[in-house]
Amino acid sequence: MPVRFLRNASELADVSWESPLPVQVANARPVSADTLLVATTSVTTDANRDLLGSTSSELPTLDGCGQYRKLVWIARRASDTQINYTIRARATDPVSGAPLEVGWRTIMTGNFPADSANPNWLRLDIPATGDGYWDQYRIEISVASGTVSLVSKIVGVR
Amino acid sequence: MSAERITRREMLKRLIVAPIGAAALVTLPVREASAAALQPYYEPYFVAVLWEGRTRCDSLWRSLKGDVVAILPTVQGATPYDRLYWTGYALGSAPVNVNMRVLARAVDHNGVPLGNGWRSIGQATIQTPPQRWFRVEIPEGHWDEYRIEVRSATPRLVYSRVIASQGYWKE
Repeated sequence: MPVRFLRNASELADVSWESPLPVQVANARPVSADTLLVATTSVTTDANRDLLGSTSSELPTLDGCGQYRKLVWIARRASDTQINYTIRARATDPVSGAPLEVGWRTIMTGNFPADSANPNWLRLDIPATGDGYWDQYRIEISVASGTVSLVSKIVGVR
Repeated sequence: MSAERITRREMLKRLIVAPIGAAALVTLPVREASAAALQPYYEPYFVAVLWEGRTRCDSLWRSLKGDVVAILPTVQGATPYDRLYWTGYALGSAPVNVNMRVLARAVDHNGVPLGNGWRSIGQATIQTPPQRWFRVEIPEGHWDEYRIEVRSATPRLVYSRVIASQGYWKE
């Protein structure tokens, strides 16, 4: 016996491959993305300078990131110069918001090499594989010589 | 010109078995935003149509919107989307041979690009027999603006649609 359902409010239709039962995904909501940071940094030879320009190693670049599965770091450098980066992360006390302890875990190191095909625009997913969910991140950048202006945007993806 | 009368069932069958030309941007690891209010959402799958229309392809690199102004984006407000899909077909009886490339950039809180130019996300050549659908997946999401450009040595009229998908959580 065919199964029938009401289609278009007034049409009674048999369930078939061409007219499947209407379904709706329940209890779901879209994953949103938030812009966490837009900053301009003068990248120098200081190995411990972060995107906010700070060389205080205990200061986070980003806080309150525990809800984000990953961060997408998009940036534009003023010139086609290699930029080195180190990404550090740590967790915080859920009550006080203070770090569980001093120091960081280094989760990524690398560089944006000079690239004639894409001399200015850069992108890095943090972390590159797996999930983030760290509470705080410190993103340090440096160049071998001279200075380079870098405009960064970081999007948190849940 | 001839025509035949077919049933809806037969039409569906033909659509399903029709070969689909596809090109994959394997180098793409990217997406637009301010148009969000204008985008019809196909709930509950959180898919938005970012653009739909026809493009006259010629030997110049043109945005899907038809312009050759390199600073103009094709789609904006793409920050929340994991990936984009460009689907369409070219009119005409000749085989399709259309070059396409995808550019992306980010904007600041005021909607101003972080800087000049674009990042090249990837490029591909769409080659299909005539009257076939093609689809290109742009997996590198979360860029704010994209510029999708096409060109063809033989002028073609391409009808296409750019959609973007947003992941969702099941609660």
